[in-house]
Amino acid sequence: MADSTEELEPLFDYSRVQPFDVVCIDDEDDVDSSQAFSSNKRRKISEPIVVEDAEENTKVIKIVDCEENKELDWLPPPPKVSGDVQKLLGDNSTIKELRLRKQELVTFAKSAEDVLRAVEESAKREIGSSMQSSLEAVTDQPSKPPCERVKIVISVQDKDGHKQFRMYMDDKFERLFKMYADKVKLDIQNLVFCFDGDKISPAATPDGLGMEDEDIIEVHVKSS
Amino acid sequence: MSGGIARGRLAEERKAWRKNHPHGFVAKPETLPDGTVNLMVWHCTIPGKPGTDWEGGYFPLTLHFSEDYPSKPPKCKFPQGFFHPNVYPSGTVCLSILNEDSGWRPAITVKQILVGIQDLLDQPNPADPAQTEGYHLFIQDAVEYKKRVRQQARQYPAIV
Repeated sequence: MADSTEELEPLFDYSRVQPFDVVCIDDEDDVDSSQAFSSNKRRKISEPIVVEDAEENTKVIKIVDCEENKELDWLPPPPKVSGDVQKLLGDNSTIKELRLRKQELVTFAKSAEDVLRAVEESAKREIGSSMQSSLEAVTDQPSKPPCERVKIVISVQDKDGHKQFRMYMDDKFERLFKMYADKVKLDIQNLVFCFDGDKISPAATPDGLGMEDEDIIEVHVKSS
Repeated sequence: MSGGIARGRLAEERKAWRKNHPHGFVAKPETLPDGTVNLMVWHCTIPGKPGTDWEGGYFPLTLHFSEDYPSKPPKCKFPQGFFHPNVYPSGTVCLSILNEDSGWRPAITVKQILVGIQDLLDQPNPADPAQTEGYHLFIQDAVEYKKRVRQQARQYPAIV
């Protein structure tokens, strides 16, 4: 038996060399590792909760989580982690706030865009309508009264020459007569204005007489 | 269609007239009772030249354009019985520039016609008489002629 023991000794030596405690330590390590494992498991369980709390966080935070997982795989969980998580949560809350602000801004921007669009559209409509009306005014000047006030140049002709006046198509000639009388310093009562040989009533308008831009009206001074 | 040429030219003439014409003259295409414009007939007014016996008179003249205008001149008519050596009893004006075979050119404008007739009023052409009464008085009785001219000018006062 001794032989056997002796024979076995070297082997046992080797086994003796190996400290028994080490095994225990191993066990302890195992235990520790198992504990660490369990703790890891706990963390892993808790982490998704954290993630859930974070509410569909952005990729950045997920990446951070992954890193944490890696760290947890290699290292025992530092007590800081919970604090970090809390910080993360805090960050998340601030991020949430930022996101809300951003969303608000986006909505503001959208509403602003809508307003701008509305303004642009209305402006376009106005331009279109004014263009149409002006076109109508140009084409139907003699027959139809235009929607907007169209200006016209009237050339007043006396024996000495022409004097040009601007007036609206729907303006009464009364005003032009006064302007002319003031300009030539003559009594309006002694002036007779004619268009195509017909006397122009002070109440008449260029539109009513079917006048066009730069039409001539003649002024005659009464001999009396 | 030749009528298209005549109307196109007359529309241009009218457009030009509206923008510029001599003082006291009137020239406008006639407006029919239904409101449509007939470019082939123009109602005009020729003022008697200032400083002459014709002054103060605004003489009505009608221009009748044919479909051959402006190849052919318009017929220009004063009222029937108008007193002037070169106006026919019908009122038609006898003037070289209005004669297709004489002085008419397609380039002559309505304005030139009217101014030409205004000149003719005070400067009759005794070589080409168109009525006996005006012609005889003009060459035989200057005083009576002058009186008749002034009388006629009063007969056609300014419309306004």
